[in-house]
Amino acid sequence: MLITELKSREAITALISGKVFIINCHGCKEVRFPEEEANALQKELPGVTGIFTTDYICNPEHLKLRLERFSQQIQESDMILVFSCGVGVQTVAEMYPEKKVCAACDTYALPGFQGVTPLEYDCKQCGECYLNLTGGICPLTACSKSLVNGQCGGCKDGKCEVDHGMECGWERIHRRLAQIGRLDLLKSPVQVRNYATDDKVAH
Amino acid sequence: MENYTKYALKAEEELVSVLTGADNLFVIACNKCFKEFETDQEPDLELFLNIAEGQGKTITGTAKLDFLCNKTQLQSKLATLIPEGTKYIVVLSCGLGAQTVADIVDLPIIVACDSLNYTGHHGMALTKKACDACAQCYLNITGGICPIVDCSKSLVNGQCGGAKNGKCEVDPNKDCAWEKIQQRLAAQGRLGELTAQPVQVRDYGKVNFKVISEYVRTIRESRFAGYYGGVHPSEKKELSEHAQLVRFPQPDTVVIPMSMHLGAPANPIVAVGDQVKVGQKIGEAVGFISAPVHASVSGTVVAIEERPHANRGTCLAVVIENDHKNTLHESVQPKGNLDDLSAEEIVEIVKEAGIVGMGGAGFPTYVKLKPNKPIEYVLLNGCECEPYLTADHHLLLAFADDVIFGLKAMMKTVGAEKGVIVVEDNKPDAIELLQAKVADMPNIEVCTAKTKYPQGAEKMLIKRVTGRMVPSGGLPADVGCVVSNVSTVKAVADAIKTGMPLIERVTSVTGEYIANPGNFIVRIGTPAQALVDACGGITCECATVKAGGPMMGFVQNTLEAPIMKGSNGIIAIDTDVTEEKSCIKCGRCVDVCPMELKPLRFAKYADTENWEGFKTERVMDCMECRCCEYICPSKIQLVTKIRAGKAAVRGMK
Repeated sequence: MLITELKSREAITALISGKVFIINCHGCKEVRFPEEEANALQKELPGVTGIFTTDYICNPEHLKLRLERFSQQIQESDMILVFSCGVGVQTVAEMYPEKKVCAACDTYALPGFQGVTPLEYDCKQCGECYLNLTGGICPLTACSKSLVNGQCGGCKDGKCEVDHGMECGWERIHRRLAQIGRLDLLKSPVQVRNYATDDKVAH
Repeated sequence: MENYTKYALKAEEELVSVLTGADNLFVIACNKCFKEFETDQEPDLELFLNIAEGQGKTITGTAKLDFLCNKTQLQSKLATLIPEGTKYIVVLSCGLGAQTVADIVDLPIIVACDSLNYTGHHGMALTKKACDACAQCYLNITGGICPIVDCSKSLVNGQCGGAKNGKCEVDPNKDCAWEKIQQRLAAQGRLGELTAQPVQVRDYGKVNFKVISEYVRTIRESRFAGYYGGVHPSEKKELSEHAQLVRFPQPDTVVIPMSMHLGAPANPIVAVGDQVKVGQKIGEAVGFISAPVHASVSGTVVAIEERPHANRGTCLAVVIENDHKNTLHESVQPKGNLDDLSAEEIVEIVKEAGIVGMGGAGFPTYVKLKPNKPIEYVLLNGCECEPYLTADHHLLLAFADDVIFGLKAMMKTVGAEKGVIVVEDNKPDAIELLQAKVADMPNIEVCTAKTKYPQGAEKMLIKRVTGRMVPSGGLPADVGCVVSNVSTVKAVADAIKTGMPLIERVTSVTGEYIANPGNFIVRIGTPAQALVDACGGITCECATVKAGGPMMGFVQNTLEAPIMKGSNGIIAIDTDVTEEKSCIKCGRCVDVCPMELKPLRFAKYADTENWEGFKTERVMDCMECRCCEYICPSKIQLVTKIRAGKAAVRGMK
């Protein structure tokens, strides 16, 4: 799940040289797209040849069809300024390898892979799911140190020492295991995280 | 097509070990996401069952579900699914699905899969382009090639020096990203830009846990505001919201369709050559779900024939040549004090005035006023959640008193104790005005709803105001509510106060391609062309013209169709050029469907003509709000497919 934030006004104006064609992607707007700020900024930019707002520019086939009617304006422009996540910018850049293509946004990741509703949970896709040992609470994402063998010992009053606003993941795990009567799971042998799970990667 | 499935079954030895000591298993398998939607028959469940049975385990049941990480839908599914005697839940899904299940059920869970990593994130289209969400996009420096993702060392200041013949030293199958960057920039003549860059320092602190989790909290709140799902299209209300409401001059000819409502078309009761007066009934209702039709101008009936219709192709219409004398028909008489009228009398007035839902659906209002269940609330929809349209907004500002009068009349008729006018928070002036007007009315309140489409749909409105859910296949009356549009109650007020039947309405003419957008009080039967011309016409041939809003409006190829009772606007907007692609199981349609359905299943079922499947997935609950189609990254025409499914399901009965 990717969200975007506008780069600073100075950073964006510094990118501009000559005539600019602007592409806005609202595809993931249900999560976040800084629509109003982007509109306000675009009104002030010099040399704009056209503004096209659409969704899912990460789909090159759709984007190609949709940009056909702007071919003239894009041809005349010295650069394309894209307001989207990094995937969108790269898609446009590949479509116009001869043009200067710039990103006006920075991209952040939210927990959750799917859909518009970001989740409270995150999954690091570690390739060796620990949830069986932890009552379904992920130690990689719920513990700020991603410890897989229990508490670090640094938490105070159930709060993480790295971030006092965060609950200790391992205390939560302990509570959950006690609740479902599986505290015995904590007596499992020591877990060693295998970072080399690349051979399991789907592609 | 790429397959971004994020989990794989653990190896048999590991499964055997995690199953040790566990028995009476209920197995939940996620139907996977981000892969081509070819089949429901993912093999993992059967593979797991074989292993579990080999271990002599008792399986209490299994379920294959879509998107386990969708907590709302999973919760309602699991409520009735897990049989008694189950001791363990086995989950086949990625880490998100497993954590969601663990959070919902009280039983211990066993995760039978490992989540797989793919490099970076991808967009909503399945694409090899990846983004690592570093929060400090470098693409501007690198000609649009990402050094974080494409360089195996994620170097941001140029090559490491280890590449051989353009290939990465870490993975000889991979092109060196910095060589690609160099080539792209050289081709664009921008190498100087690169060498002039100061050294880049990656700030890992930019992706801050607190910022992200705070953001997730707020976004989840807004997603669930009032009701599950919904979307936030660009509002574009600014195009016409400040255009003053004006009375549109009566046209020389009006074309009045006999069908401007749900149900049977009215039957014309005038003949060519007849003189008619304003408010005279010219079409008689046929049957229970139907509505009469009245003359909106005085003059001569010149034709009774098939004419273009905004959403039916053509329809029998009475064409009246206006004599511009505006002679009132004798039947147009005030109906007396509201206090003196009985519920039955009000129902009769509303029925005779030809009043139908003016939000677009056109359901005969008098039918709603005769509910067979006790009614607690009358809810007025003043949300106007469709983008662009500003007709109801202007109606609220200009006729607030009439709206409140109409609401009181409806409350009296159905015996409701409470009246609520719901307005979206993008109309603060209307909210302020109404609040001032109802301040001393204890039984009427104004409810400010968050702007979210389709807030104005009756089931969403009821959920937002009362927290009640209309049961599947049910009506608002089942939960003690009657819902009506603000324009409709304004018409009810007119019918009682002056006796004028429904012969005019407020409509917006707007969109990027309307020269001077406006809001008009217009007589029913006025050609759309006349309104568009008065607004300076359509500025580009490329525009898509719709009767109604962009979400649920009907595409118009010509402007011949007249303004009808339900015509809340004519818009000329951008045309989208797309081609339908295959479903990628991203699940966004499921996330936005306010009725909590699974639209991707309907697309699948329509393509395989599985009409039974439509029924199982409750297709009849779909209100065709088009949220799914709006959000679909593959641009699948979901509503068309859903309509086909509905027709088939209706045929089954």
